[in-house]
Amino acid sequence: MATQDSTVPAGPSLADRVRFVRQSLSHRLPNAGEGVVGYLFLVPAFLLFGVFLAFPILYTFYLSFFRFEGVSNETILWIDTGFFSYRLTRIADLEFVGLSNYTAMFADTLFHQALFNTTFILVVQVPLMVLFALLFAVALNASFVKFRGVFRTVLALPVSANLVAYSTVFLLMMQDAGLVNYVLTSLGLPSIPWLTSSFWSRMTIVGAVTWRWTGYNMIILLAGLQNVPQQLYEAAEIDGAGRWEKFRYVTVPQLRPVLLFVFVTSTIGTFKLFSEPVIINGGGAPLDSTITIVQYIYQTAFIDFRLGYASALTYVLIAVVSVLSAVQLRVGGESDA
Amino acid sequence: MREETRREAVWQFLTYAFVIVGAILTMVPLYWIFVASTLRESEFLSSTDPRLLPGDSFLANFQSLQARENVQFVGEPGQMTQFVDLGPIYFAYDFWHLWDMGAIESSIFIAVVYTLLSLVLCSMAGFAFAKYEFRFKKPIFYAILATLILPIQLLVIPLFLLMSQIGLTNSYWAIILPWAANPLGIFLMRQNMQSIPDALLESARMDGATEFQLYYKIALPTMKSSLAALAIILFLFQWNLFLFPLVILEQGKYTIPVAINQLVGAQRVYYDQIMVAATLSVIPIFVLFLFLQKQFVSGILAGSVKE
Repeated sequence: MATQDSTVPAGPSLADRVRFVRQSLSHRLPNAGEGVVGYLFLVPAFLLFGVFLAFPILYTFYLSFFRFEGVSNETILWIDTGFFSYRLTRIADLEFVGLSNYTAMFADTLFHQALFNTTFILVVQVPLMVLFALLFAVALNASFVKFRGVFRTVLALPVSANLVAYSTVFLLMMQDAGLVNYVLTSLGLPSIPWLTSSFWSRMTIVGAVTWRWTGYNMIILLAGLQNVPQQLYEAAEIDGAGRWEKFRYVTVPQLRPVLLFVFVTSTIGTFKLFSEPVIINGGGAPLDSTITIVQYIYQTAFIDFRLGYASALTYVLIAVVSVLSAVQLRVGGESDA
Repeated sequence: MREETRREAVWQFLTYAFVIVGAILTMVPLYWIFVASTLRESEFLSSTDPRLLPGDSFLANFQSLQARENVQFVGEPGQMTQFVDLGPIYFAYDFWHLWDMGAIESSIFIAVVYTLLSLVLCSMAGFAFAKYEFRFKKPIFYAILATLILPIQLLVIPLFLLMSQIGLTNSYWAIILPWAANPLGIFLMRQNMQSIPDALLESARMDGATEFQLYYKIALPTMKSSLAALAIILFLFQWNLFLFPLVILEQGKYTIPVAINQLVGAQRVYYDQIMVAATLSVIPIFVLFLFLQKQFVSGILAGSVKE
């Protein structure tokens, strides 16, 4: 390069100058309009978001300091569902109780149970699912595998299954005399009380959720794998790395941001678990061993009508999920995601 | 060298075995939905020797589904099961009856208006987050993202209180507006729009395009597949929404899931009917999924993987 300078004394060419101007402009691009334009694009979304989502969420926080159980006569909401009728009364019934909604949780054994169940499902389900998703992704990224597209589609199909449909079919398959136990006994194995033992009923939920979401996460990981530069593998091969070393030292580190994304979204998703236990385990059977946090909050708000307490529980849920996500981000080493 | 190729063969065999077993396990529950819908209830329930092949009772089950006056979905009376998001499983139900009730028009109106509005809002916000610098950009973005943590079920009460304060109960707008600035949509749009080259915007700017023209003449056309994927997500989300419409709307304005809920009785669980409904609700979505899979997946992925 330096030698060419002496042979071209005429200075930078026109093309170079244009490129230079372009470059200096593109450096300035992020500050174009000094931020006002950005706000203008945000205003419509932000107005609706602020009024209809942020405000209710903050309002829930406000409600969490009140006793709000709807005891006045003035009804503002009446639902008749055929099972029970639900009545919401005026807000005037609010009674400030300070932190007592929060302190009440320490003595609430059902809440502890729900917290335990959700944590149990989370701890078993998320690593299991991410592991399977990763293995499937790596397998289906290998060039020697034929019909990769077919396999990917089949594995991702459960995401499109309707929630009630798939939960019901798990309920059917896991019966004492259901399909799964039929297969187990015909293989000479003992049958398992999938829905009647508290441990196995949780495992049934784990199985159902894993079944539904593994393919989805596999697809995300697959896309991540395709962004891993091929040269890294070639370099590793030159250094004599085997299959395991390449996976351990190239694939996993390169996939880290995607893996992190998968972990965080799966954690949040599992904390939101609601419909599966309700359908498969009839809302927490046996003995409340599958009742989840969201389901418990829901029950508190809509069945017991303790709206203040439900609001406080909601904020505990938010706190737990936020802390967990933050920890995962920290451990994943992406502080500036 | 021979050792090498043999190990390679073993490895390939193991990989195939893993993938094939996984695919079979994935298909079993789906297969079982279809098979169960073609069997009598006694044939697939509480049988020690379950039939694994399709039977011939599909039509009979379908007729009993159509004739049914009392279907309870799952669980015992008094449980909260009726609030489970029933979604498109109801597709198979009494279509004409729903038409009479205006439920189909309601659902279509709400879902279509919601999807269009939300696409505009999310893409504009995503464009702002992806391509502009402004104060408090990160805090605002993360605040929006943080609301993804909250399950919708928990927002119903405060949202209802808000709607009753501003006089929007029993209005379609009460259902359209709250999630119009959909946090997931904003997130996806922001991630995808980061891939638009700055140089492209800059050269358009030098040609005299206004900032808004950059958005709808450059950003939107390049985001077609992401917008399509997001449209599907938004439409299905709104179409399946059950609890919030149930709380907000009154008779005559019900959406499909709510209207069907009014038909549900409390007798017992009719699994044969459920399985027929499940099959019928699953087939169109599978077909759609198979057709749109590539576009859908790439549309979503362009975003979630970056960063």
